[in-house]
Parts: sequence; structure tokens; C-alpha cells
Amino acid sequence: MSVSRRQFLAAFGGAMGATGLSLAGCSLLPAKADSLKSREYVGASKLNDGSYAVQSLNSDGTARWQTLVEARCHGGCFRPHTAQVLIFEWRPGWWFHVFDSRSGERLAHIKANDGEHFYGHGVFSTDGRYLYTTASRYQRGNGIIAVYDAEARYARVDTLDLKGIGPHELQLHPVGQTLVIALGGIKTHPDYDRIKMNRESMAPALMLVDRTSGEIRARFRPSHHQLSCRQLDVTPQGHIYAGYQYQGPNDQAPPLIARYRSGRFDEIGFTDDVQPQLANYIASVCAHPQNDLVAVTAPRGGLALIFEGATGRILRNEAITDGAGVEALAGGNFLVTTGQGKLIRMGTGAPAQELATLPLHWDNHLV
Amino acid sequence: MLRLTRYFRTAALTLLLPTLLLPGLALSASAEFGTAVEQQTRAGWHQGIGRGYQALASDSETLLQQARAYCQQPSTEARNALESNWKQAFGAWQKVRFVDFGPVETNNRAWQFQFWPDPKNLIARKADLLLKDGTAVSAETVGQAGVAVQGFPMLEYLLFDTRFNTGDHALPTKTSCQLLIQVAAHVVDNSQQLVADWSEFKPRYLATGNYTHATIRAAMTALEVAEERRLATPMGLRGNGKRSVYAADAWRSGSSLASIGASVDGLQKYFLPGLEKLLNEQGESDLAQRINKQFGEVQEHFPAMDLALKPLLEDDNAYRSLQGLYVDVSQLATLVNGEAAARLGVIRGFNASDGD
Repeated sequence: MSVSRRQFLAAFGGAMGATGLSLAGCSLLPAKADSLKSREYVGASKLNDGSYAVQSLNSDGTARWQTLVEARCHGGCFRPHTAQVLIFEWRPGWWFHVFDSRSGERLAHIKANDGEHFYGHGVFSTDGRYLYTTASRYQRGNGIIAVYDAEARYARVDTLDLKGIGPHELQLHPVGQTLVIALGGIKTHPDYDRIKMNRESMAPALMLVDRTSGEIRARFRPSHHQLSCRQLDVTPQGHIYAGYQYQGPNDQAPPLIARYRSGRFDEIGFTDDVQPQLANYIASVCAHPQNDLVAVTAPRGGLALIFEGATGRILRNEAITDGAGVEALAGGNFLVTTGQGKLIRMGTGAPAQELATLPLHWDNHLV
Repeated sequence: MLRLTRYFRTAALTLLLPTLLLPGLALSASAEFGTAVEQQTRAGWHQGIGRGYQALASDSETLLQQARAYCQQPSTEARNALESNWKQAFGAWQKVRFVDFGPVETNNRAWQFQFWPDPKNLIARKADLLLKDGTAVSAETVGQAGVAVQGFPMLEYLLFDTRFNTGDHALPTKTSCQLLIQVAAHVVDNSQQLVADWSEFKPRYLATGNYTHATIRAAMTALEVAEERRLATPMGLRGNGKRSVYAADAWRSGSSLASIGASVDGLQKYFLPGLEKLLNEQGESDLAQRINKQFGEVQEHFPAMDLALKPLLEDDNAYRSLQGLYVDVSQLATLVNGEAAARLGVIRGFNASDGD
């Protein structure tokens, strides 16, 4: 790693000073960086016959297990210290699945509470006990974090009110106490298909929320109210990168990447030859835990980019059709999935390399 | 190849130029207009779609006038004319329904014109709710009642729903007439506004290269929706495998097939000429001709336009004519969404369409 733990803590102290945040420090070191070697990857997919499945992979793109599911799924997370992986249904999602990550056997199938639906993402507390998932109380459209206790057969134990609409992806800050949440701001209702009901009054945000008290510690607003903040990742140093989807007209090309780093929230806009090519839509964001690189997929624009976190400078721009999920590979590269079933290795040192093609369509995220 | 050149230029520039940091509000306009042929194509599309929007506005106005006339002086003739005016205006909407960008996006106008699919039967529930206590229905009521109330399906429910038409609130009772007229007036307002906004949108549409692909993607989506959701699903070729007219749109008026026919007709009139121009420019005139011919096949093999979908689903012999239509539409979708899109470098993938 390029940043020592001491530097990291110092930098993070600066962040707290600058924003008035008080993220209770504990001595957890991020596990993500060390766990990349020989790890498996899991993603939701649609098969060619129209059915849906969850597919597991090795880092070289070879297939492991595949398990059929009842409905389209989206994102998910591994449960720390166990061999469990969770996958959530695509919004409006009514269920999430718990699989044995070695065999693909489904261990549990948990239904959303009445009057709630999931948005497709979840994350665990570092001890692997509590699951935090983005959800909606859809009659009023209240965005919440629904908390489940994995040690009590995924009993619902808490609800954090986000005082906002449409939370999407979330991650746990490496210190372990704060949830980092992309709040899309878009109001939908399951009876009304996927209609966006509040384009004019959207209030998207990048949020920091205490996972125990539910206290909202920060709510960073994108530079335009129609920049729907949807995807994000957090580095072991606590740098946050979020991806937007712009709900305004096609002939505008606002910045689509938000960054919270060293106590400062800003946005990264690329040059005029690249920014419009992203077609106002970021599908996935991955900040590599072993370097300062961030990869994003832009399926509407047919691009995937790698940029340097500190400067926002693009180091690789690849034409990738219908790019979907992206995750970090050991050694500094990224693994990208596509809607055409491809698995692509992407790095800054060499052109993207296609590893394999499976007969399926990958959904937006790789876990 | 155009795409490749663009990519290399992009890659080269991104390595050379530093990125811009934009902490505040800054929307930068696209500098790319596209090729001259693309610009001419968009000019043609703009004009064609504009004509379609004007037809929608004028047919909706006729519908509103007839709704007023019928409610003032109900008669069988007036009712027949009204039902026919509804079909005409709904058909006009079908012809431009493929446009999913630009001013039709404002305030979910497309959804206001046609809320569909409606698996929970919100149309009937909303109508019953609005009519149950006899409270007067105003323009404001309709304005605030949500998309399930504000368009053609609500008018269709009032005019054609069998249960409703034998119930206490059947037209021409006072409040049902108020609802009919206010919804028709809402459709007129929306369609007139759309005509005005589309005209105002012209410079941006012509100046923005991204709209070439956006327009092609819109047509691709419309073909896919026609094939999958408007035909295959009610035919029982998807999902639980059961044939069900309720999965189609406009089943209450028996216009499901006629409306698909109108959508294909709209694509042929307003979209196809531009697509042919782009394909010819790429040296793909053979493909352009095949697509043109396939549009003809679909129109030729359409079951009689006034046929309702329901009896065709219930009779195995008649069902065969639907299968023939499905194959034709499916082949058209393959030609446009597969071959033409690939030749023109248009991306519309699993995640690109609605992945989140």
C-alpha cells in the first residue's frame, strides 16, 4: 500500500477536523486488501432463456457455481468471517438470498417487511453479524437502512431513517462505524413500474450515517439536484468515490463522479472529449484497495475508465460494450463484467484483455 | 470506422489533457454535432416526429370536443363517434410512443399519456375512488391524481370497460362525464405543450450528436416492447406461459393489435427514413432495403386491424395468425436492434437500458 496506517489515520483526523465529523476510531485495519488473492467473485445475471441466476467466478474468469433464482438480482456482499455471500433482488426487490459461497447452495431466502422493498445492495458490520441494506417504505417513499441480525437467522432488528429518498449502494467505512450511502433521490413506487415521480424536486446526496445510532453525520449534495448519486466505493484509507446518473437532458454533460477525500467533498469532471461519452450514466464504481486507482463502467456510453483517485486524471479509457460490474483484482488490476457475458481484465499498464465469455448477461455489479 | 477513430482520438486526448475539477454547478454542453449526414437525419426525424405530435394534438382536440358534445346531448351516434375519436387519438399517440427522450420526458408526460402496464388495475381503482361519492371532478383533481388517471387508459376505462358500463357510474352520469372531459382536456393540454416544446427543442436536438443514437435506441426499445411485452407476454410465450389479454395494452377497447399496428406504422413513417439514410451512408443499403421490406411484411401480415386480441388468444386457429405476426415483428426487431444497431455502433445492452 502506498499510504501507511499512520498516514491514513493522520489524514482521516484531518477529515474529521474539516467536516466536524467524529467517526469513533477503532483499530480495525481494512481486510479487503489482503483478501484479494484467490478470492471468488459473484454476480447477478440473466440467462439467455430469460431466467435469472447468480454466478460465481474465479479471478481468471473461469466459472464456479451457478444457482437459479426467482427474479432478477442486482448487488450484494460477502459476510465477513463466514463462507456466505448475499445477493439482493433488483429494485423493487422483495427478497434477498444467502448462499454458501463455496457451493452456491441457498442457505436462506429473506423477504422484505410488509410495505418495504429493497434497492439491491447491502453491507455487513466488520464482525459479520449485522447486515445493513438500503430499502424503501414505499407508501411514503421514505428511504431507510433496514438492519438484520445474521446470527439470529436474519431477524430484522433495526431501521435507520435516512430522511431522504432512494438510497442505493452502500459501503462500510473502514473504521467500521459509519455507513457510506449513495442516496439517489428518485421517488418510485412498485405499483407504478419504474416511473420516476419527482425529477423536479430530487434531493440526492452522498451520506455518512452512524450504523448504531442512525445519526446522519454528513449529507453532501451533488452540484445539480438531478445528479442521482447511486454507486460508490470506499478505499481502506477512507477515500470515497461515488457515481452519478444524470436525470436531465441528453445534451448536458455534468460531472458524474463525486469524491470525498481528505475531508473535502468535490466532483471530478472529465475533459469535453470524454465527459459526454459517458452518456450521463455510471453503472459501477470500484476503488482499488492496493493503489490509488478507481474504475468506473459507463454502459450507455460503451466505456470503462480508470482514473487516478488523487488527481482525477484518466489513465485508461476502454471501449467496452455494456460494461456492468467492476471489482478489484489482486495486483492492481480490475475485473469488469458486461451485459454480453464477457469478463475483461482492465489495468493501466496494458490494453484490456478479454478473459472469458459466459452465456449470460451480467447485471450492474460484481461482488 | 467512425467509432474506432473517435475512440483513439478520445484516448489520445485523455492522456494529454489534465482533467477539470468542477466543484460547483457547471453543465458543459456537448461539442459534438455528429457528421453532416447525422445532422440531416436528425433534422428529418425532428420534422417527422413533430408532425406526429401535431396529429396527436389535433386528434386529442377532436376527442375533447366530442366528449363535450356527447355529455351535453348523449346519443348512440354521439357515443359511437366518441369511441371512434378515442381510437383515432390513441392511435396517434401510438405512432409517436417510441420517442422516449426530449420534452416527452418532462413531468413523465409519456406516462401521463399512457400508464401501462397496470398489473394492479390502478386505472379501475382510481376511477372508482374518484367517482364513488359524487364529488365534482375538476381540472385540478385530474392534475393531482397521478399518471394512472391522466391519459388514454382512463378514458378507455370510462368508454369501454364492461363492468363500469353496466354500473351506477356509467357514462353519461354527471361526475363520470366530468372525469371524461377533464381527462380529455388534460391530454389536450399535454399534447399541445408537447408540440410547443418539441419545436423549441429543435436547436438542441440538431446540435447534439448524442441524440442520433438516442433516437435509434428509442426505436429499438419500442420494437422490443412490441415484440416482448405487447405480443409475446399476452400470447403466453413468456412468464407463466398462460395466454392473457390483460397483459396487453388497450384490451378494454379491443385495440391491442391495432395499437401495435399504429406503433409500427409510426416507426415506419417517422423513424425509418432517417435510419435508411444512416445505413446508406455506411454503405449498408442492402440492409436498409431489407429493413424497409420487413416493415412491409409486418404491415401486410397484420391480422385485420379491428380484430380484438382476446378471441385470437382463445381460438387455436386464430392464434396461428398471431404467431405469424409475432415472427414478423420479431424478425424486424432482429434486423433493427441486432444488425442495424451493430453496423451503426449503437449500444443498448442489458445494463445500458435500465440496469439500476
